[in-house]
Amino acid sequence: MSGDDLNPAAVPQPVEDVHGDGRWMSQHTRFVQECKDAEPDVLFVGDSMVQLMQQFEVWRELFSPLHALNFGIGGDTTCNVLWRLQNGELENIRPKVVVLWVGTNNYEHTAEQVAGGILATAQLLTSRLPKAKIVVLGLLPRGERPNPLREKNAAVNGYLRSWLPRLGQAQYLDVSREFVHSDGTIIQQDMFDFLHLTSTGYRAMAKPLSDLLLQILEETPEERRASLV
Amino acid sequence: MSAEDPNPAATPTPCEDTQGDGRWMSLHNRFVSDSKDKEPDVLFVGDSLVQLMHQFGIWRQLFSPLHALNFGVGGDATQHVLWRLSNGELDNISPKVVVLWVGTNNHGHTAEQICGGIMAIVQVIKNKLPHARTLILGVLPRGKSPNPLRERNAKVNQLVQEAISSLPHASFLNVDPGFVHSNGSISHQDMYDYLHLTPQGYQVVCEPLHAHLKSMLDKPAEN
Repeated sequence: MSGDDLNPAAVPQPVEDVHGDGRWMSQHTRFVQECKDAEPDVLFVGDSMVQLMQQFEVWRELFSPLHALNFGIGGDTTCNVLWRLQNGELENIRPKVVVLWVGTNNYEHTAEQVAGGILATAQLLTSRLPKAKIVVLGLLPRGERPNPLREKNAAVNGYLRSWLPRLGQAQYLDVSREFVHSDGTIIQQDMFDFLHLTSTGYRAMAKPLSDLLLQILEETPEERRASLV
Repeated sequence: MSAEDPNPAATPTPCEDTQGDGRWMSLHNRFVSDSKDKEPDVLFVGDSLVQLMHQFGIWRQLFSPLHALNFGVGGDATQHVLWRLSNGELDNISPKVVVLWVGTNNHGHTAEQICGGIMAIVQVIKNKLPHARTLILGVLPRGKSPNPLRERNAKVNQLVQEAISSLPHASFLNVDPGFVHSNGSISHQDMYDYLHLTPQGYQVVCEPLHAHLKSMLDKPAEN
């Protein structure tokens, strides 16, 4: 297993406000506030792949009915997600499942480091939410044609596949299957900028995820608490 | 304005592939290729605010019927759009209107420089498409609370309006319906990250834009 203390991808770090409009902190603050009011059964955490999902119909159709909260922030690395989770975004909530999707923005880190960062995040989640199941989504391929980032993301996924089973509550889900065509290309109909998913792209990956979530939620014994509004 | 200092916002500059997957150039090449195949009446050009518009229902609802093409690239500043338009994206097409929405990503540039960048784009469009009109959309406010970028963007809008007031081929449209509330805040229901529009945000921006475009298309082109 990777040495987390030495792994830069596992060091919690907020995003610096380089532009001057404080948007990252505003979003984090909003999520912390949402934790005070909401009682989600499912929590989505990650980068823009998570964040954008909420802007498409698929969210309302498949995930809102599961009482899901979306704590995605565009551009986030594993370091940023770790920091957010340690600084209020897990307070007062007890989701049954956490969906974690992060890693594609870790440009400064090796595949092994990125996987280590994702693992560290999953470990943090299981320690703070001992009864929750953690679903870690594999990184998607990116770029119009084969390129080093595709190889890197695939390598990250390879590490996740072998490391995650050691965390009893966590499991790995590959949602990348249909995106690379036989000629090696990714089409704009699936990823409008060869990174971010279109409505069509989200539909393709949301279905297996939604099926898994329904399965997990069905298996989880209901914990009685004050009636949901 | 000093003639000696080149304006970085008005200097055509391609985006460097720092990440390693060549996505910016892939998109540019796609657009050049689209220019060869398609015959748009309206061309949208700019940054992610243009690009994302294409992803939501609003595009098919309001702009596809106008035979519009979308050449938006997330992250683009004026110098990137300037490079793209100077390197093939305007070749082989003759739209009646070019809608230009760019400027919010020009970090490190002054409002004056950003205005200069926008004006440089207007000039390139005029050179390549002498019969087209350019409709410049105002840069939107951003950030949850008042901040320097809001001031910068408002100044850009003011300067651009002044600069094009004498140009017959260019006009300006303020598409901000009032995103900033009386307490100075922008809602995440309109901008999910206080920069990018939600489908609801696009609805309030695009309806007046669509009406304005239709009236432009219905009028004969001016010389």
